[in-house]
Amino acid sequence: MSRFAELLDDFFFRPDEDVSGLQDFAAGSDGVASSTPEEVPEEYLSFLLEGESYAVPIRLVREISKVPPLTEIPRAEPHLLGVMNLRGELLPAYDIKVRLGLTERVPLVAGPDAPAPPRDARVLVLRTETGPAGVWVDSVSGVVKLKPSMLEPPPPGLRLGDKDCVVGIGRRGPSLYILLDPEQALTP
Amino acid sequence: MGDRPGRAHMRVKVLIVEDSKASREYIASTVEAVEGIEAVVTSSGFEALKLLPRHRFDLIITDINMPDINGLELINFVKKNPNYRDVPLFIITTEGRDQDRDRGMALGAAEYLVKPFQPGSLEGLLRRYLKLP
Amino acid sequence: MSPPSKALAEFVAEATEILEALGKDLLVLDERRGQEADPERVNGIFRAAHSLKGLAGLFGQERISRLAHGTEDLLDRLRLGKLHLNDAVLDTLIEALDAFQALLAETARGTESDGLTRRADGMAERLGQLGEVPVAQDEDPLERLELEAQVRSVFTEYEEHRLRENVRRGVALWRVRAAFDLSDFDKGLADLNTRLKPLGEVISTLPSAQPGGAHGIAFDLIFGAQVSRMELESGLKGTPAELSPLAVRPAAPSATTRSAEALVRATESPAIVLGAIGVASAPEASVGGSTPVKTGGSKQGARAAMEDGASHPFTDPDSDTELGETGGSAEATGTSGPSLVTYLQGPGGRAPGRAVTPVAAPPVATEPSLRSLTQTVRVDIGKLDGLINMVGELLLIKASLQRLAESARQEGVVPLSKLFGQELARETRGLERKLEALQEGLLEARMVPVGQVFDKLARLVRRITREAGKEIDFVIGGGEVELDKLIVEELSDPLMHLIRNAIDHGVESPDTRLAAGKPRRAVVALRAEQKGNHVVIEVSDDGAGIDELRVREVALTRGLITFAQAEEMGRRELLNLIFLPGFSTARSVSELSGRGVGLDVVKNNLGNLSGIIDVWSERGKGTAFHLTLPVTLAIIRALVVGVSARTYAVPLNSVLEILSVQPREIRTLERREVLDVRGQTLPFVRLSRLFGLPERPVSRYFVVVVGLAQERLGIAVDELHGQQDIVTKPLGGRLQSVRGISGATDLGNRRPVLVLDVADLLEEGLALERRRA
Repeated sequence: MSRFAELLDDFFFRPDEDVSGLQDFAAGSDGVASSTPEEVPEEYLSFLLEGESYAVPIRLVREISKVPPLTEIPRAEPHLLGVMNLRGELLPAYDIKVRLGLTERVPLVAGPDAPAPPRDARVLVLRTETGPAGVWVDSVSGVVKLKPSMLEPPPPGLRLGDKDCVVGIGRRGPSLYILLDPEQALTP
Repeated sequence: MGDRPGRAHMRVKVLIVEDSKASREYIASTVEAVEGIEAVVTSSGFEALKLLPRHRFDLIITDINMPDINGLELINFVKKNPNYRDVPLFIITTEGRDQDRDRGMALGAAEYLVKPFQPGSLEGLLRRYLKLP
Repeated sequence: MSPPSKALAEFVAEATEILEALGKDLLVLDERRGQEADPERVNGIFRAAHSLKGLAGLFGQERISRLAHGTEDLLDRLRLGKLHLNDAVLDTLIEALDAFQALLAETARGTESDGLTRRADGMAERLGQLGEVPVAQDEDPLERLELEAQVRSVFTEYEEHRLRENVRRGVALWRVRAAFDLSDFDKGLADLNTRLKPLGEVISTLPSAQPGGAHGIAFDLIFGAQVSRMELESGLKGTPAELSPLAVRPAAPSATTRSAEALVRATESPAIVLGAIGVASAPEASVGGSTPVKTGGSKQGARAAMEDGASHPFTDPDSDTELGETGGSAEATGTSGPSLVTYLQGPGGRAPGRAVTPVAAPPVATEPSLRSLTQTVRVDIGKLDGLINMVGELLLIKASLQRLAESARQEGVVPLSKLFGQELARETRGLERKLEALQEGLLEARMVPVGQVFDKLARLVRRITREAGKEIDFVIGGGEVELDKLIVEELSDPLMHLIRNAIDHGVESPDTRLAAGKPRRAVVALRAEQKGNHVVIEVSDDGAGIDELRVREVALTRGLITFAQAEEMGRRELLNLIFLPGFSTARSVSELSGRGVGLDVVKNNLGNLSGIIDVWSERGKGTAFHLTLPVTLAIIRALVVGVSARTYAVPLNSVLEILSVQPREIRTLERREVLDVRGQTLPFVRLSRLFGLPERPVSRYFVVVVGLAQERLGIAVDELHGQQDIVTKPLGGRLQSVRGISGATDLGNRRPVLVLDVADLLEEGLALERRRA
């Protein structure tokens, strides 16, 4: 119950949003929570960027939103996609793909010439030191629990752009998650 | 706005009667999360009595312990009234209130849920009784 | 630490309210130690604990849930007569309230101390062990009551217990049957309950399962009377209630371990017992009915909540927090409990501890106006924390400015460095942005749901409807939409006016409606909806509608418009004539379905709130008034412009004029574009170029000439979309360094529209010019 409430708490947003997948995921993760008491798992939100699995600690995620209409800010730094209006709150939305070396250029997603966002795309609203910030992701995969023993330091052969925003790799069964430091990832 | 009175809604309507605001909103959000269901909520049995003739409800979810008329009385009212008696009714009870729960079931409630319950269990029941995919 | 989430804040707010109610009732029990407890009060406390348990379970607040469970359990035994309320039980309940408050304070802070967890769990355990077992009954008195099994089957366990108690005590039981109109039965029942309350105990209220006609509903109230039949009958005079006694067979005299009191009463005939009980329970009844609750009457509640401003009880969760926190101050305000602030101020955030005292409202009798008696707004503590943080940041800026001032003073006549100037400008800009954010935050704190006034209106509507002899369903929607408190307050009178008009004049009598082929009952609706920065409130009816030709005629007769003007007017314009002063008089009222009673006043009221009113009407279908209001009073008028298919807003207060300019009129002066306006050279920028947007070929530009002080700048845009009232939200947080944009607004389509920072653009444009000069 409490886990579900927490989930609701953190992920409650528009009533029209389909979160059933997320709930299933969370319900599933309930069952595997039995761990040795000293191994306290941390919950991560995992998502896809250009087909790769990334994850950030869930405590840093304030909410997940469908991509609202974005307005580009003239003369802003390139990784700022634009601003969005989330229930009356004005939030910046950022691209981190360029920073991670996944794409060459920031995609055109704001303004009158932008195509409609892909169906699965979401904006994660992250808590950062300088206030909430939206981050574009291609899709949200779910919540994953990672125990300290499942974490590994970042491999040495990482692409240059990744270096300081990748804090490690989470390995859970066959799945690998690239763990991000959002603060770093948002630094241009 | 702009809706002139009397426009029909084609969605399935579920009435939720629960005096605790938190529970009410929890139940309502669970119900509304199911595609195609419109939730009508009220905090009192009295209001429920007033809403019954004004809507065509497909299902009713009610708490038992409420200040004006209790949930059992509401069930009895619904089940004795030819206009509403076929509407399935779920009761929300609390752990330890077995007598109230048993009476509700005896009066014709279709299902009961014991607080706190998982949204999935309510959702499953809704789909079953409302014949939703 | 991250601030508590919205959901958690909601939990804390609601739990606080429950604890307030619980504390108030406990206080009363505490003050009346030694007397028999009012069963309704005990039941009320039980319900509060029950709600708290459910709420805590819902939000995963397990510590509070566990303790509430224990408390609820104890109270359940109390109200079901399985336990006597003695001093030990009462003291424990008061301690439990204490623990709840400490737990809630920790929850609000997002902490969880082991000490408090242990204390709460220990207390929950103690609650379970408490209590003496009352004398067992070997015969169920209910068996002696002649009541259909079917009726008994809808009683809850508690109601059954109360019935049993009444039978056991030999109280005369009645079935009070009353039928009401479905539309206002709650009012009728409330009235009936008010009358019955001083005469005994309403044990259960059963809606009759028999359909009571198309629009009627009947109720059976099971009532335990403390007065004679005659008194009961006279007390119910004027109500639709019918009385019939419920027979109770005498108890078997062979019962063994019954208490002496019960034995004596039960074996006497009901008629005699009635008098005896009436006397015996008189003190309790009168206390419950009329004695006002004293604020500082009890030892527990005496100490005022506010006296301790510096060392707050919640700084140490294990300290002796007292019950009076809730009960005492709640009674003192006379209307509602202390706001959340009084609970959570101080250590809850990074905020300096400062006591915020709720505004005490004088106990004024109900007034005809629907305005609130209090000027109080309940503010979420999270919002206040945010505001206080902003003040903290302002203090930092102040420190920087002080430092700059100090260095300027020391340098004396030495010319100040360029760096110094830049630093000063940066700090000033920061100050400006923070002040804007603070203003924004304060405005948000003033928001209240419009439902506050809707609910009050609903109560009045029932009365007006009855007086007017109409049959009306009053429908309310969108009560959750929020508006500035001041606007909500100011709305009540205009809305009442419009609704009264709709009921009195808009809606036809039931017979007329039937004759017109309409349902007998009319619908009057009040709905609110947020649209961008505005809230639209609709007051509508499905009545006869307004005859615009009659409106035209009346307006012509009264000389409000000329015949030529009338010829030019469309239907909608004609309808809107009803808002003209001098339009409405008694005659026009009766002849025009009554529309127009003082509507000019309504329009003026709305105008004062920057609101507008519009009317829709169709003959035979009904009438609807739309009131469009700004969400807050922080509204500025803006010019909405289009550039390269983007939309921007320019604050109108800095717009001097708008020129239409053909590309060939633009001159280049030292590689810089200028315009000649009435012989003067005007610096000029194309917004598309300045912002790096794709330029689209246009045959002419609109040049918005903006000015501040002596500076002028022409800003070329592609299109003008007109003027609009907007609320600007600052680009706070991470976007503070964005140039030329002061914020964004919502024009109703969820896409943020950027608001140009005219001062910024002027500075930039002129700096460009200086650099080139």
